[in-house]
Amino acid sequence: MNDQELRGHIETLSDRLTGLEQPLRTRYYLTCEAEQVYEICRFLFEDVRARFVIATVIDNDDNYEIVYHFAVDERGTVINVQAFLRDRDHPTVASITPFLPGAEWIEREMHDLMGIHFEGHPRLERLILADDWPDGVYPLRKGGAS
Amino acid sequence: MSWKRWSLKRSPWVFHVNTGACNNCDIEVVDCLTPRFDVERFGIKLVGSPRHADALLVTGGVTRQAAPRLIRAYQQAPKPCVVFAIGACACDLGIFHSGYHMVGPVDKIIREVDPHAIIAYVPGCPPKPEAMISGVVRALAAL
Repeated sequence: MNDQELRGHIETLSDRLTGLEQPLRTRYYLTCEAEQVYEICRFLFEDVRARFVIATVIDNDDNYEIVYHFAVDERGTVINVQAFLRDRDHPTVASITPFLPGAEWIEREMHDLMGIHFEGHPRLERLILADDWPDGVYPLRKGGAS
Repeated sequence: MSWKRWSLKRSPWVFHVNTGACNNCDIEVVDCLTPRFDVERFGIKLVGSPRHADALLVTGGVTRQAAPRLIRAYQQAPKPCVVFAIGACACDLGIFHSGYHMVGPVDKIIREVDPHAIIAYVPGCPPKPEAMISGVVRALAAL
């Protein structure tokens, strides 16, 4: 796969995206709404054969943003999928763990620390907070626990 | 001086407790045992159980999860037992001062269960092996 083919692959996603930027040859920023995450990540992982690196969650005051980082090692390219969760009271997004087991722990961590609910996650239990940590307190939310 | 304290000062056996350290202090603790410093020549020996220990080397500010375990290790150690708070975090939480998962520096947690505990502080990030040896010598001299 050369760079044009990769760009072509990513452009087939464009009806699911709200934005597509390529500031460098080796860097893509895809923005989307939370509902589209499952299909976009499935496409990148299974069809483009991109490697899942990690995911990050950001508290943006009026929404939550999850950034899924994928790498296409063959081209040295990094693809960031920025998904916006607009419902602040019940931030929910589809889990990508069913087809991508490597995402299990990072999704559990995001659930622990930010209170994001991952629908379809096989085991959404506490991962890194203390055993006696109170339920419903999410320490990394703004105006959080400490 | 009671025979217990006299014997404690001759060859203090230490147990190492990590209560949330980043591993840097722990590496320096291990450094003390390597041939360059070789604290075993002074009779200071790392043991595998707090029940064999005369001193606890505590590294790291105490996290919520680790606090009950630190208390259990301290209660199991035979008294008199010297607690060494090794490193900036163990002494006063250091950069984790307002962390949500921190419940307090080592001395606060230990004093909750034993107000008269003997606690020695070795600050530094991480403290040098020389500083740790000096801390042990001074603590034992003060007993």
